[in-house]
Formats: sequence, C-alpha cells, structure tokens
Amino acid sequence: MEGGSSDAPISTPSHQAATAPSPPPPPYSLPPSLFMPEDILFCIDIGPESLTEMRVSGPKGRGVTRLDAIKQALLLFAHSKLNMCTDHRFSFSSLGKSFSWVKREFSNDIKSVTEAVRYLTIPEAPVEGTDITKLFEFANFEARRSHAQGRLFRVVLIYCRSSALPKHRWPVNQKTFTMDVMYLHDKPGPDNCPQKVYDALVDAVEHVSQYEGYVFEIGQGMTRVLFRHVCVLLAHPTQRCMQDDFDVPKAIVKRVPPGGGEGTQSDDSMIIST
Amino acid sequence: MAPHPPLPPPIAAQLNHLLAYSPLPFKVEQMWSGCRNGRYSDRFTLLIPFCLDYIKWDVIFSAYHPSAVPDFIFSAEDVDFNPLLEAHEREAGANGLAVVSPLVDWNYKDPSRLLNLICHLRDSYVSYQKKKAEQVDDERMRFEISTVLARKGTEIFVGSFPDGDEVKFSIPIPDLEFNKLVTPCPWKQEQKIYLQASFVVAKGYATTAPVPRLKLVSTQDLKPFLNVDDIKLIPWSDEMCMLTYLSDLEVRLNDQVVEAVAGVAKRRRFIEALSPFFGRPVEADPVFCRRASVLGISGVFTFLVHFSIPLQFPIKQPTLKLESVQHFNLNGLPIVSSPINDYPWSPRWDNAEMAERIYDFLVDECLNFKKYCSEKIPTTQ
Repeated sequence: MEGGSSDAPISTPSHQAATAPSPPPPPYSLPPSLFMPEDILFCIDIGPESLTEMRVSGPKGRGVTRLDAIKQALLLFAHSKLNMCTDHRFSFSSLGKSFSWVKREFSNDIKSVTEAVRYLTIPEAPVEGTDITKLFEFANFEARRSHAQGRLFRVVLIYCRSSALPKHRWPVNQKTFTMDVMYLHDKPGPDNCPQKVYDALVDAVEHVSQYEGYVFEIGQGMTRVLFRHVCVLLAHPTQRCMQDDFDVPKAIVKRVPPGGGEGTQSDDSMIIST
Repeated sequence: MAPHPPLPPPIAAQLNHLLAYSPLPFKVEQMWSGCRNGRYSDRFTLLIPFCLDYIKWDVIFSAYHPSAVPDFIFSAEDVDFNPLLEAHEREAGANGLAVVSPLVDWNYKDPSRLLNLICHLRDSYVSYQKKKAEQVDDERMRFEISTVLARKGTEIFVGSFPDGDEVKFSIPIPDLEFNKLVTPCPWKQEQKIYLQASFVVAKGYATTAPVPRLKLVSTQDLKPFLNVDDIKLIPWSDEMCMLTYLSDLEVRLNDQVVEAVAGVAKRRRFIEALSPFFGRPVEADPVFCRRASVLGISGVFTFLVHFSIPLQFPIKQPTLKLESVQHFNLNGLPIVSSPINDYPWSPRWDNAEMAERIYDFLVDECLNFKKYCSEKIPTTQ
C-alpha cells in the first residue's frame, strides 16, 4: 500500500486468499451489448469519525477532515463519470444516526451535484447509527424505477467508523442494485476493530450486489489515495471483473525494450517504475 | 419556452399523451392563456415535423371549458388548407368522416384524442401539399413530382413566392434497415436517412430544367453510427432526374452502411487492444465503440485518459483528453487537458501498435500535463 497508510494494514480478501494460485483472468473483451447509463446513490457517513483529519500531502502536509476529502472525491467522481457519458446521474444521502436523504432527485447537472455535495455537513451532536437497512430499502425502490428506464442502479457507501459494524436485515437473493464501499478508518489498535468492520462491509456488498461490487479501505492515508480508489469505483458494474483482477491504475512510464542487447536488464522487467 | 401558467389537467393529459406517444417528434414552442392574467394556459403552438422541417399550428383550447374540443389555427401561408371546413362541407365520404369524427365525438377523458386528431390533420396536410405540387406550372417539375411521389413515405412542400415556386421533397431512402444492423439494437425508434431536394421553379418559360439543392438528413440518433454530413453527394448533372439520382444514391448509401458496420468492429478491436498497455478500461461504449476511459499512474500522479474514437477511424486518430485525479480548479472540479489529436499516428499500424504508440506518447505527455495542472493551482495538493 502507498506510504501514509497504517503501519499494520487490515487485510483485504486478496491478502487472505488461499495459497493455491488462481488461473489468470480472461483477457479484456468488449462484447456488443446495450449500454445502461447509471443512477448512482451516494451514502456518506456523517458520524463523528468523519471529522478525523487526513493528510493532503507529505508527512508535514496540511490536514483536511475525512468529510472534506470525501466531498472533493464526490465532485471528482461525478465530473469524471459525466466526462465519460453525460447520461449518468447522481443522488445523495447521508448516514448519521440513521439514513437520511440529502438530494433524492437524480441529476446529471454538475452544478446541482456541487450544490448537493456542499450541503453535506456533520450535525452538531453527531451520532453513529449503523443500521443500513433503510439505505437498501430506498435503493431497492429507486432501482426498480431506474430499471424501467433502462438504467443501472448503484449505491456507493462511504463509511468512516473504526468500531461500529454496519448492520442490516436485508433478505437473501434480493439483488436489484450493486453496492461499492469506500471505507476510511483509523489505525487498528486495542480500542477499535476496523478489520471486523471491513469484513462486515465486504459481506454486505456480497449480500446485496447484483454485479461485482468493490470495497476499498484507507487508513490514515493521504487524500490522493482516496481519490485514486474513488476513480477505480468509476468502473461501470456491467463491465467489471473481479476486484483482485482489476489492474488499474496502470503505470504509464518508460518501457524497456524486450531483449535489451547488452543485457543490463533482466528479461522480466519491462517496466521501470519512477 | 417563456414562463406560463400550467394547463388545466384534462388539457395537460392530452398534450402529455401526444408528446409521449407520437411516432414523430412534436415540440411545443410556446404556451399561453387566452385570458389576460389567466390562471391556466389553454393555448399552445405545436411544431409539427413535416418534410424535414416544422410547420406551426396553434392549438386553441379553453380553460373555462376544458372538456370542449380544441380549435386550430394553421399557418398563414396555407390559406387554402381548411381540412375541418372541407370535411364539413363535403358529402360524408370515408376521408371526410375520418377528419370530422374526432371533432364530433371528442371525448376529453380519453387522453389520446388530441394525438389522433393531429395525426389526421397532418395526413390531410400531406395530401394538401401533394395537390399543390400537382399544380406547379412546369411540365418537367410535374414529371419529377409524379415519379417521386410514387415512393412510399415521400413528403412534398410547395412554397409560393412572387418569382416562382419552391418545391421541396423529403424522400426516405428505403431498405437501409438500421435497426437490424446493430445488435443488440440500441434504438427505440426506427432510424432513417432522407434525401432533401429543393427545386426553384421560376415563373415564365424555363429554358433549362431546374437544378435541385440536395442534402442528406438522418434521424438524430443515427449520428454515433453514421454521420450523413460526412457523405459527399454526387453533383446533379443535366441528364439526371430524381429517380436515377435516387437509384445511384441508394447503392452508395448501402456501401456506406456496410462500412459503418465494419467501423464498429474496428473500433471495438482497438478498445480491446488498449487493455494490455493501459489496464482494463474503466468504462467503454459497447454499442458503437466511440469512447473508452482508462486510469493511469506515473509516479504518484494518477490521471484518467479519455479516448474519443471518430467514425473515420483508423484514418482519423482518436482524440485524447487527460483528467487529473488530484488537481482541482476553483470550482472544485478536476483539471482536464484540451483535446489532443496531434500525436504520432498511422492508420496502417495494427491495433497493438497503435495502443503501444499512444502509450509511449503519454509517458511524456502525462508529465507535461502534471506540470500544467500544478501551474494552474497556486498550492499543490
């Protein structure tokens, strides 16, 4: 993981994988299919832990709160997604004591998205409620409407709690939308359990998701790592592969030509990382 | 549209049904109330597609009597167009009744009645224009008109001016069947190409046959697949007539359509060839393969590369746009490069080589872009 994240990182499923090597993923293909523009519902944690600071750059870099970094990430996501296809739409909700709408109406207007994002604030006496059933209920309801319009529905949950596991009472096999999670947490220690929270989030994603949902975690890392992960979440669910096989971002750096004559480079290393 | 009070519900239902279900793209140009400071609007100007243009008709309801059948005001130029009057005066023949009956037993509770009525009136208008065309004072022109009107779906418009008449044709090109060529079919409505031909018939004795102004027009949603503006029309020559011109055009268009289908496949293979160099694209267009976006990193600088692939690919190269993931402008939005399409390119390279060359170009270009981004913001992030 990039420098800046916790010293004892929590282990993601790829780290926990069995020792037997899995077969290489099939090469990328883009078969002819209908394109479904997305309706993406963001649910942002406005509990007290969203006030924790993250670093902007370098060990002495200035800090911003998780919520401020998240807000910037949301604008980045919406703008990039609209750059790819102007037909994607966004709506916003928050998770404080419970689920609450911030902007229920879906919009593909960047000004309206910016306004909704600016509106996200942490209440004066923030409380951590962890039941996300309401989020799933609303998502399921809205998803049916989106499907009727030939659109795909996705939830992106941004969760910031290092000890509070998310809870839900969602039935099995009701998968009308896909969920992604961006999990921001403190360094694992005796007073918290981010690994358990992470595992619960992964379970929730697998439980509800129609397509492959992605889960990213970031400890006390820098904001640019958050932004990088959020850009991987740009991936259209119907065009995704398994998260472990998703080979992005790809290094775009000087390549060494293969078989370099006088043989100063090993045959394997074709790419030099700066 | 200027702000206006709402329509009363029964009238709104009629208009909404028309806009939702009509086979042609009707538009409302303006809406207003028949009374000064009326609480409700009850009149609107409808733009009705005709002959690759629009005709404007005012539809006059009454907010005080929303259940009453509407009245119509047709275009000022069409003084002879009186479908309602003619239907009333004519003996009840099949055509006459078809126009009158939606008026006579108008049922405001059935929201489809307005659409039904407008379609009938439009059909009457098509016939009206055809009759006008048959009376154009030029034998050669009447010959052209008669041959072309025999083709299904042709519409004709005759504009009368002091110097003469302008005769405009809109002729759909048959058998192109776009909706069957692209699978799965992304289009809800049938896609078509039309030849628009305008002749000016000068008054008095013409020494030469009129030469038409010619243009190809397509339905809007066809553009990502085939752009008719890129198709060069053969110039009209003296020996030609509409029928022979159309026959040659159909052959040419069929070739263009075959090329367009092949073009989709070429672009698809190109996008697939990006993945070994750029990783799996984050999102790509699986229908017409006109765009793909990838996520790259150089050191700690992460950025998106958006590929926009032209219809003329590979003769014309894809346009690239870089978007920073970590530099934001004053509005909080990521910084994007201007479009780049002057990088080294050859249409003769295979897809893998094209991808490789773009990769090599971007190695340096992304660093230039990073510098550009850093200069654009006072404080680095």
